[in-house]
Amino acid sequence: MAEPYKAKILTGGENRNDDQIMAEHGLRVSGPGLTGSDDSPLVIMELLQRLRVRDVMRDRNIISVERADSLKKAQTLMKQNKISGVPILEGKRLFGIISVNDIIKALEGGWIEECVSRHMATNLVVLEEDMPLAFAIKFFQNYTFGRFPVLNKDRDFVGIVSQRDLTRVLMKELTKEIAKLEGKVCNEGSIAKSEGALPYYSMRQFVVVRNDLQNAGKAANEIKKMLKDAQIENKIIRRVAVAAYELEINVCIHSLGGTITFILDREKATVIAKDKGPGIKDVEWACQDGTSTANDWIRSMGFGAGMGLANSKRVADTFNIQSKIPSGTTVICEFKLA
Amino acid sequence: MKIEDIVKTLDGTLVAGGNSDRTVGAVVANDLMSDVLLNDSDDILLLTSLASDQAIRTANIVGAMAVVVHNSKPLPQTMCQVADTLGIPLISSPLSKYDSCVRIHAALEAEKNG
Repeated sequence: MAEPYKAKILTGGENRNDDQIMAEHGLRVSGPGLTGSDDSPLVIMELLQRLRVRDVMRDRNIISVERADSLKKAQTLMKQNKISGVPILEGKRLFGIISVNDIIKALEGGWIEECVSRHMATNLVVLEEDMPLAFAIKFFQNYTFGRFPVLNKDRDFVGIVSQRDLTRVLMKELTKEIAKLEGKVCNEGSIAKSEGALPYYSMRQFVVVRNDLQNAGKAANEIKKMLKDAQIENKIIRRVAVAAYELEINVCIHSLGGTITFILDREKATVIAKDKGPGIKDVEWACQDGTSTANDWIRSMGFGAGMGLANSKRVADTFNIQSKIPSGTTVICEFKLA
Repeated sequence: MKIEDIVKTLDGTLVAGGNSDRTVGAVVANDLMSDVLLNDSDDILLLTSLASDQAIRTANIVGAMAVVVHNSKPLPQTMCQVADTLGIPLISSPLSKYDSCVRIHAALEAEKNG
């Protein structure tokens, strides 16, 4: 009995993290590239790490043949289903792959009636279903294959990933992320659109990238615009904008990055700043006027006077801060609208 | 005191953000943006040495009527773009911040006294 495929299995392993696995396979963990790049938008980096191969693979209606089937049968299936390759499966076990090239060679060589096991490719490159999507993208870049078989941890065949599958899911997920970033009016129907200047319950979320002072402040300015559009009183707009700006700058210069979320309803405006760490050791001290851990670079950019949290607290009606080392800090400022 | 009066008083140039009819309500001379955010006055004229996007964004947050950058400091292109986008008049002056304060004070006093 023939051995199952001699596949080059790029497995996730049990005790290694994704970065280690990527490094082992010569994939860049940081620096220029699809993941880990300082230049890459944070949201795409996160998406490529969050999504797994199983999220994009096709696991239904997989067209396959068995080892004893003829190349002719494989050719017919490819033609009928408009596909360019079929896996050789028996049960859940993958034995090889037959591609269009193998069929062309068989037609030219006159062995189209022979069984697939004599001509299938067995030195396969496969993906594991738990791998981050970044892996799959790198493999499509590094190899010329149009598809990769996907195995689970037990080495069972579970599906196939083609470039088209990957692009389709990635575009869908990116659209979702963009909608989140651009701001999405949600629960639109939950509050009647009738009287007053606040037709919606609305929420927007902004990503704040560590040390990106060039863009810091954009969220606060957008929040100010939203409040103006909603015809909120100028004095309240200013207080909300000041808190949003201070918190956004704080996330930018003191944390590893995070988000600013703005929620507006008929009764109050809420600004939530949430970062990914490293957390504040002494929250009470950090909330006092003039306390700062800012360096000279931050000060040269006009910040770091140690007024951020104190200033946000001063302008907000309610101020709540929670911080944990090293997981991060969340600040919630609420403003009554009436 | 309007934009054109400020430009004239400070020997300055309006470089971005466009003109407006707003008049000076208060003057804040500061390079620390957090300090600027502490001020509750309306129609602030911000005198600063900070030639960065953040000076404009801070000005927008507090509803400033204009920003003046001193010592003819080169203004980053992005700063001018942000000023144009947010409609904050951005003025460049060859004077020091101290001299600007003196001249603006004198001009406002003269305006007050008729």
